[in-house]
Amino acid sequence: MIAIIQNYWSMLLSALGKTLLLTLLSLAFAMIIGMIFALMNVGRKRIFNMIGTIYVDAVRGVPLIVLAYFIYFGIPAGIKTMGVQDFRLSALQAGTIALAMNCGAYMAEIIRAGIESVDKGQMEASRSLGLNYGKSMRLVVLPQAIRTMIPSIINQFIITLKDTSILSVIGFPELTNMGKTIAGNTFQSLQTWAIIGVMYMIVIITLSKIAKNIERRINRGR
Amino acid sequence: MEDKKIMVHVENLKKNFGKLEVLKDISMDITEGEVVVLLGPSGSGKSTFLRCLNQLETATQGKIIIDQSDVTDKHTDINKVRENIGMVFQHFNLFAHKTVLENITMAPIELKLMTKEEAKAEGMRLLKRVGMDEKADVYPSQISGGQKQRVAIARALAMKPDIMLFDEPTSALDPEMVGEVLAVMKELASEGMTMVVVTHEIGFAREVSDRVVFMDDGYIVEQGIPSEVLLNPQEPRTIDFLNKVL
Repeated sequence: MIAIIQNYWSMLLSALGKTLLLTLLSLAFAMIIGMIFALMNVGRKRIFNMIGTIYVDAVRGVPLIVLAYFIYFGIPAGIKTMGVQDFRLSALQAGTIALAMNCGAYMAEIIRAGIESVDKGQMEASRSLGLNYGKSMRLVVLPQAIRTMIPSIINQFIITLKDTSILSVIGFPELTNMGKTIAGNTFQSLQTWAIIGVMYMIVIITLSKIAKNIERRINRGR
Repeated sequence: MEDKKIMVHVENLKKNFGKLEVLKDISMDITEGEVVVLLGPSGSGKSTFLRCLNQLETATQGKIIIDQSDVTDKHTDINKVRENIGMVFQHFNLFAHKTVLENITMAPIELKLMTKEEAKAEGMRLLKRVGMDEKADVYPSQISGGQKQRVAIARALAMKPDIMLFDEPTSALDPEMVGEVLAVMKELASEGMTMVVVTHEIGFAREVSDRVVFMDDGYIVEQGIPSEVLLNPQEPRTIDFLNKVL
């Protein structure tokens, strides 16, 4: 075990870095996607409600690994048949898109539930003062919704971080992929996967502690 | 009465919720400075009528003109009209994430009607007026219901409205807090504010209002000066209702 750490520590750390990079990129896009579809879902326009529902249902209905294969292999192949020869997505690009789409669908549901948890009277009071829908949403409803959303969002962050391991299947050199390489090279599966597991654990526990702290700070003054 | 400006003109207003007809055919004029109290059993449509005036509920049919703006016309900028119509809700609806003072200053600042400093000064002046200036920096969760409602009134007044709508402003209050809210409303009325009040406070109706409108089942059943409607009602439904509440 010590030998593995001694020989592979720099590779392990860089793989962990890649895992974190993929997580943060995906989460950033997922927040945007989630916000857009959540707002579509809570609005009054039927057509937007439908688009929002279709997106959430479609993405949640497909396993992440299938979505990753579809984006990494399927889309470039499809574009090739349309005559474009050298269109390729890097594993990082495809992985980010797949994870962001997947996480975005769950985020949309979290944000929608958060918005709906805010008493309707808050929106009405804001509208009655002459503020339009957008301003009322931004200034009155969302700030209150975020407070109730935070625990679920933290949870989703952690799930997404763990889901990056699924993207080892498209060859992105993140932590789990590195685990496969090291286990293959050293024939020490037990030790290798124990190390990988502990690394995930440390990061996730640290992140959830930080998140808890932020949550407490936001809730102060309530 | 003839030469007074008409603030609210409602013509054949109908409102359906799905198949349910809540307002069946309401027509009413309210003049500047008039205090109108809407009475009636629950489900009679009085709150819906009030909420139609500032289009929190869209009218199914009919015409509503507030201060020369036709709010039932799709081309009317309803947000602009609402700036001029203050509304006070049964459940206060103070913004929970903002302090008492921020509750009052938010809209005037956001709508660029005042600078931050002006809004704060005006906010403090209004808070003083409703006796809440000492609570300017606390959050709504830390004050009582009566205090919340007084802040809510100040918040509406900060937009300098020409008309104020009150939707059962004392119904969610503990009995000992009703008085403090009615006192603020009484003062507003004496200053000439045009007010439309949905309430069960018969005492307030008798003392403060210029006109009592009794509604039932989506219609106006009877209306007139308070002494007539409250002490000498003509319609059986009004008599029946007053017997129950008095």
